[in-house]
Amino acid sequence: MEKDIVVFHGSLQQLLEKVETGEMIPRLQASHAPMCKFFTAYYVISGIRHVVPLVHGPTGCPLYMSDFVRTRECCEIRGVPLEPTACTALDESHVIYGGEGKLLEAVKEAYTKYHPDLIVILSCCCSGIIGDDVESIAREAEKLVGCRVLALRSEGFGGDFRSGYEDAFRLIMDLMEPPKEKRKGTVNILGARWGPTTTEFDMDLDEIERLLGEVGIKINAVIAGGCTVEELRRAREVELNASWCYDWGQKLGDMMEERFGIPYSKTGQPYGLEATKEWLLGVASPLGMEKEALEVIERETREVLPDLAYLKQALEGKTAIIEITEFPGPIRALSLARMAEEFGAHPIVINIHPYTIKERMPSIKFLLETGVNPEIILTRGLFRLGSFRSSKETEDELEAIVGQYDDVIFFGNSARYPPCPVVNLTLMNPAFQPQYGFRGIRNIAALVRQALEKKDLPRSRLLRGMLYGTRTK
Amino acid sequence: MEPVQSERPAGADYGKLDKCTDPYLRCAFNGAAQTALGVSGSALLAHSPQGCEYLVNNAFAWQECDYMETMTLCTKLCVDEIVHGGEDLLTRTIREAKDLPITALFVLSACGPEIVGDDIVAVCETLQPEVKFRLVPIECAGFRGSQYDGIDIALDVMLRRLVKEGNEKIPGSVCLIAPHANANPTWMADLEWVKQTLSRMGVQVVATLTHKTPLAEIGNVSSAEGSLLLSHDAGQKAADYLSATWGSEQICKGIPLPIGMTNTERWLTRLGERFDKRKEAEKMVSEGERMVTTTCRRKWPMARFFFRTPAAIVADATIGIPLVRFVTEEMEMTPELVALYSSHRPARELLEGELSDLGLNPKVVYGTDVYRTRKSIGEVRPKVVFGSTIERHASEGLGVSYVVELVRMMRQFRFINREYFGYTGILNLFEAVQNEWIMRWRSKEKRYEAKW
Repeated sequence: MEKDIVVFHGSLQQLLEKVETGEMIPRLQASHAPMCKFFTAYYVISGIRHVVPLVHGPTGCPLYMSDFVRTRECCEIRGVPLEPTACTALDESHVIYGGEGKLLEAVKEAYTKYHPDLIVILSCCCSGIIGDDVESIAREAEKLVGCRVLALRSEGFGGDFRSGYEDAFRLIMDLMEPPKEKRKGTVNILGARWGPTTTEFDMDLDEIERLLGEVGIKINAVIAGGCTVEELRRAREVELNASWCYDWGQKLGDMMEERFGIPYSKTGQPYGLEATKEWLLGVASPLGMEKEALEVIERETREVLPDLAYLKQALEGKTAIIEITEFPGPIRALSLARMAEEFGAHPIVINIHPYTIKERMPSIKFLLETGVNPEIILTRGLFRLGSFRSSKETEDELEAIVGQYDDVIFFGNSARYPPCPVVNLTLMNPAFQPQYGFRGIRNIAALVRQALEKKDLPRSRLLRGMLYGTRTK
Repeated sequence: MEPVQSERPAGADYGKLDKCTDPYLRCAFNGAAQTALGVSGSALLAHSPQGCEYLVNNAFAWQECDYMETMTLCTKLCVDEIVHGGEDLLTRTIREAKDLPITALFVLSACGPEIVGDDIVAVCETLQPEVKFRLVPIECAGFRGSQYDGIDIALDVMLRRLVKEGNEKIPGSVCLIAPHANANPTWMADLEWVKQTLSRMGVQVVATLTHKTPLAEIGNVSSAEGSLLLSHDAGQKAADYLSATWGSEQICKGIPLPIGMTNTERWLTRLGERFDKRKEAEKMVSEGERMVTTTCRRKWPMARFFFRTPAAIVADATIGIPLVRFVTEEMEMTPELVALYSSHRPARELLEGELSDLGLNPKVVYGTDVYRTRKSIGEVRPKVVFGSTIERHASEGLGVSYVVELVRMMRQFRFINREYFGYTGILNLFEAVQNEWIMRWRSKEKRYEAKW
């Protein structure tokens, strides 16, 4: 059966090589589209308080973002006030004659209307193609208003979704002023986005902040997860940068290290005991606070000893099949693989797309360097045209693969129906958040317990029918 | 798009030609996608960078498509295609989709490919012989206007390309236009109410443009005797085209859609007169009014406590204009602010006629954006806002007691579609008010702790 459904079976290292050499083409089929550069740039910029992201384009580009990021995610869930998503609303005449004049006026108007701390002009496909010089307009406009005005070339066609994050983080660095002092025991948390991608939730950040607080480490700014312009100005006063998620923090961390000489703590996501220890010590040791961190680790570990013992007993000798395609995301899947191994299971990550490997190349390489090199299986359905066809086929393939192993446990989300216990790691259920840190250990232990103790309870015919149709086996 | 500065009536706010807006409406590309995805058995191919696919996803949800039946594709244009043109990639992508079991593939072009001059019409014509389904190119770049303009663009393409000539007129039949240009988040219920009403009057619906509409149905549009426009925001051009090309008379033209007692009575009466079903219309009105009245007698809507409370209406024209009369008559409130997403002339004339008829003189904002909405609320200081989740947040700190989320709601969710049209629609609106009233009165904290 395997040869019928399996496209790749090997290690993460081998998959990386195939992607790098072009043997496995990292192209998404026409029916699968991740966010564009504009979206991801917008996510980062909207993570700064009292910013006006001024979108230089037609109304479609900002609207999706303002509905999703501003009103639904932030105002409804994250307790922040409604702030503007301004737009120049380019039309056909601007496409023909250019929109620079309107943009300059729009910056002045945005300042008058919203009194922001910062205005960031984001270009879209339209303004990019017609060649509006957003950087010059930003420089000109800054002389006319009372706040900084920056410009970011974020045309949707101009790069992949990752480039939007990275360019936005790079731009943010322009706000960082030369340090007036070095603030001892203070760090920035890098790589956060206030945006709505479900790989990012406050609770994991809260756990990191709590642990740092226990050690006595202060946080200057979470960049860019609700930080202020003033915090960004003072971002170079910290002793060290740490990442919220290595994948997203890495680029900014490297850039700040290179440009400002601020060291960056390179650690993976704090899933499980070992990774949590590593994360905390990775921040505390360079600050000379290793002793305090070890005390915190010892105290916190004591509190979760029953959970650690349970995870060891529950996972020892099992095959952990990990499939995190949408929630919570591929890097978390690899972090979970490491955690599963720590507790004695043999991890197999299923269907991490070659596109994802390409997009996250630096992070994947970093994880490999740290010894995270799990077995990977890619199935045929992953490359199928059509999102439903793809998910239906990968569901069938998952069920077939699980059937080939003994003593399997599935780490993923409850939208899958493999014939084994299912650990529901969706981030969409706040009842079991955070997954990071010591509180995460407790939550993951509870989820594993649910999976194993309730494995014989019936699954929902209704929800399965909804996801995969009523004619599935 | 019509210029918003024309024919400015006294007292109306047109935004003074803002350079910087915080818009409510998406772009033309989104509106066209909403319209194309209303055709069943079809698929949609966005010839665009990958981000525009999210506007398609939004349209997909707006038409309540089933992902097991409807597929959306994207050419995911990058720098290469912007520099060298994306027609080859479009060709390849259409070929990738050639085995799909569909009747039509709508190919929509976004800003990028239109500016660089990709000719999607030519590509579709060239490839048509290779595929079994109909290729329908729609040039609907976002910069062509708002989502309402996009709906008009897509309807125009459908009517010009897909309607068969030479159909015989079916007596007592109509074509329904733009039911989806309606900010009721479950607008399908409004459409369903219209269909049931027509069925009761013995009027045949030849085609709906568009919602779950088979391609063959669009082909028969020219056989409709009349047309019913179900939006005050989009579709008028399609109604005019139907009238000019195939002589389909637009019915219920110039009156608000059937929200509230008077509007519903007026709309049903006009329909009854047109199809010679006056008695049936009268019966529907008397039955409906009796049902609403007796239901209210049993349920005791809190609406009665809002007598002459100053209110604001922030919505599209489709819901917002009929709501003016509903809020004034049924709820006995005083609309002090009417802010509409739309600014085109038919909507303005309709609203101004209603305000004059009711003797109201509220602040009126056409083509409003979030900034002007907040400023207007701050200026007018209404106690109740009929609007969306956006106004819930945008009115913070402005002394608004209730925000009744009727349009574009994000906080609430409906599994069962609920109409605002007709008599059950009145009850649905009352229910929304009732729930907001309850939330307002719910204690946010306890004064002391229980002992157990």
